[in-house]
Amino acid sequence: MIKRALQPWPDSRAERTLGAASLLVGVCVVGMLVFVAVQAWPMFQHQGLSWLGSGGNVDSQLGNLEHAGAHPSASGYYLRAWPLIYGTLLTTGIALALALPTALLSSIFIVEFAPAFLRRVMIPVIRLLASVPSVIYGLIGILVLVPFVGNDLITASEKTSVQNVVELTGAGLGVAALVLAVMITPIMVALITDALNTVPRAWREGAVALGLNPLRATLAVSVRAIRPAIVAAAVLATARALGEAVMLYMVAGSVGFAPKPVDGVTFFFEPLKTLASSIVESAEGLGAPALHAAAYAFALLLLFSAFTLSLAGYLVKLPLRKYEVRA
Amino acid sequence: MSRIRRIAVAFAVVGVLGVATPAAALATSLITISGSTASYPLVELLANKYRKVEKNKVKFKIAQGGSQAGINDVTFGRVSIADVSRDPKSTDPKGLDFYPIAKYAVCVVTNDSNPISNLTAAQVLAIFTGKTRNWSEVPGAKASGTIDLISRTSSAGVLSSFETLLNGGKKVSTLAAQKTSEGLLKQAVEADQNSIGFLSNYNADSGGVNSVAYNGIGCTRANAASGQYAGIAHFYEVTNGAAKGAAASFISWIDKAKAAQSIIASEWVPLNE
Amino acid sequence: MSATAGTGLIAGRQPRRHGKRSSLRTWRWVDRLVFLGAWAAGLGLCLIAAGIVVYLAVRGIQYLKPSMLVSRPQAATSQAGSGGFLDPIEGTALLTAIGVVLALPLSIATAVWIVEYGRPSWLARVVESTIEIVAGTPDILIAVFGLALFQLHLMAPFSATGEGGGVVGRSFIAAGAMMSLIALPPIFTATRDGLQAVPRHMREAAFALGKTRIATIRRVLIPRVRANIATGVTLGVSRIIGDTAIVLLVLGGTLHIETQSSTPVLGLLRGTGSTLTSYVFDNSPAGEGEAPQKAYAAAFVLLILILLLNAVVNRIGKGNAHTITGAYV
Repeated sequence: MIKRALQPWPDSRAERTLGAASLLVGVCVVGMLVFVAVQAWPMFQHQGLSWLGSGGNVDSQLGNLEHAGAHPSASGYYLRAWPLIYGTLLTTGIALALALPTALLSSIFIVEFAPAFLRRVMIPVIRLLASVPSVIYGLIGILVLVPFVGNDLITASEKTSVQNVVELTGAGLGVAALVLAVMITPIMVALITDALNTVPRAWREGAVALGLNPLRATLAVSVRAIRPAIVAAAVLATARALGEAVMLYMVAGSVGFAPKPVDGVTFFFEPLKTLASSIVESAEGLGAPALHAAAYAFALLLLFSAFTLSLAGYLVKLPLRKYEVRA
Repeated sequence: MSRIRRIAVAFAVVGVLGVATPAAALATSLITISGSTASYPLVELLANKYRKVEKNKVKFKIAQGGSQAGINDVTFGRVSIADVSRDPKSTDPKGLDFYPIAKYAVCVVTNDSNPISNLTAAQVLAIFTGKTRNWSEVPGAKASGTIDLISRTSSAGVLSSFETLLNGGKKVSTLAAQKTSEGLLKQAVEADQNSIGFLSNYNADSGGVNSVAYNGIGCTRANAASGQYAGIAHFYEVTNGAAKGAAASFISWIDKAKAAQSIIASEWVPLNE
Repeated sequence: MSATAGTGLIAGRQPRRHGKRSSLRTWRWVDRLVFLGAWAAGLGLCLIAAGIVVYLAVRGIQYLKPSMLVSRPQAATSQAGSGGFLDPIEGTALLTAIGVVLALPLSIATAVWIVEYGRPSWLARVVESTIEIVAGTPDILIAVFGLALFQLHLMAPFSATGEGGGVVGRSFIAAGAMMSLIALPPIFTATRDGLQAVPRHMREAAFALGKTRIATIRRVLIPRVRANIATGVTLGVSRIIGDTAIVLLVLGGTLHIETQSSTPVLGLLRGTGSTLTSYVFDNSPAGEGEAPQKAYAAAFVLLILILLLNAVVNRIGKGNAHTITGAYV
């Protein structure tokens, strides 16, 4: 039988084998989604959707989940995870707000204004920034940025102003959103630059011929033409930002607090926790069934939001189809 | 033809090796432990000594993660023994056996630049429950500004012992920063001039932080041994059901052997002192 | 017509020889601001990248001694005595090897099937979508999936089992399997793009000579897309090396590589260990570490590895040199 396998294969057998391998990959991925959902089911079974709401201190609730024992009752699963969801939305939103304009401007710079040598330099630079591991970003954040913010930027009066609600240590929303923005910008720059380079030269030339200056011509023609690519870049970057766990665990402060914008500047110093970083935090305690279900419920929520993002991106791109560049 | 035969022979050899070596490995037994970060130094020393005593016939795998993580691991059979640094709670799963091995003291600690010598029970309660928020309200404090509370995550046994023994049974305020291990709590207190926290006496007295007396009694090994200090807690080795096999031998060795008791007496308090 | 003559209709760079750039003085001040903003953004990114590399290089050279690369880590209270990080380096190498060995055949098989066969077409679309899903899945999710999967009793042979019958679920093979999941999309995408770029006449020539489809794939197409596969593998390796979440959750985090039994290979695969990324994490203020110096040294080694891999990609991916993404995304 081994001899038969060592001889050249007929096409039908090859097709079936390769198809089986592909099916295996597909089944594994679908199995992963189903598996995560099954692990998360106890949380939905006992708490329905109310665990997405707010109420009480989420840190102590997570602690209670860890102590709930081997066969927790329905009340043993009590959780109100809104501060975590809010923290995720805040960091992702602010990081995206910082990164999207920067990425757009950088791409325009690379394509339009950069001298040739600088353009050759920036391509490896973008690739490098995109491939730096998140633990290195987290290390620089926690050893350089957090002490700087904690010692030099946070004043004693700011600390006392919130001292009855939360402690300010330098690790918080500002550092987290900033480092996250630096992490997601290269992805967007790469996609947008490649898209800008596929816009036919003639389109932009036409705009210049009509009297626009080069910048306006780029904005009016090229950037408008690649709007689907910008949407795709934003979707990809948001998905990356939502799922970032280790770096945020290191620099966001690890306190289940919902930062309040009304606090002014202190808003950016308040610590928070995101869904993904909570999963890393509970890594040691995943043996407890209640905490196990909670962590997988967070993972399921992240998956669901990634799906929704892709769907939203697809829907946003639909009306833009007619402007799509055929290069 | 001969190539296939060679492949088959190779498989057979690997298969035999795969069976033979575990048989030789059976002579050594493995004890897996996980749990408290406070008792980790003690258990590590005891394990090393026991391994020498048993002439390397016993291997240990010791992980940390906090007392609660140890309890969860031993409940589900992932480890043989859990290190726990708090008394059994009503929420603990039924069927666990707690074997005490040593006593230790829970100390309140502050930064070295803020050398408070003594705090009363009422002051400790007010500070750690968040009623007192500023160092100006604490007499004898050199620090000024907001009090930075440093505590442990809910998995910690030392936290539970601290709340029961020194905090009047009340929970530490949710304002406190939660560190995952004794080492990290000590680092945090060393780094922040306005901080206050709690450590087991081994880490509190080994330098770098200021250990605070409680109700006038200093937090030292001697005061813990004499029973005067209020915050005396136990280290336990916990098994699922009665201890069996290698784990049982290890625990009874800790209880009976002179070498073990002298290791315990070096930094902690033996049970019968 | 004449407006576009000499510039061509092809996409690409603007030719600098023709015409003069409009002077900045004729622009409105809003446009000048945006112009400055574009320069600032571009230079800012360069500065950030330079800053990261230079800072890590300074700290790394300050704390990295060559002996650290070959000595084993010791648990010690002071940083001077805690040895090097040979075990984390070995752990990284082992995980990368397992991940690539598992991912490579599957990715190439899938890419080949989708491009060359692909019947039924709905199945091909489903498989492509699932690989896109994996590419977009955060690694923390894959990590928790791996942990839960390998803690099933069915998977007991792949890791250690505790005294009470609970499966630990953390081992090299478990982490390696998850690493193969994250290395799969880059290799798949690169191979698929390479195969799609092969012109039809090559296949048709092979068929005309009487070769079967599978023989064409094996003897003509695969050798031709070797560069793409290599690019994909390098990108996958770079993703594996940089991943932390999977290592933290599924590898067991022991300082030394600890084999599960004394069986030569199986014991190692079922054992636990650490990698450079988990070593950096553990020695940082977020892990156990009072050892930022060791963290910097290890981070520097990690960065050098990533730089080398990037240089390799830039070299062999010459066909993708005009795009930044290449097979990245």
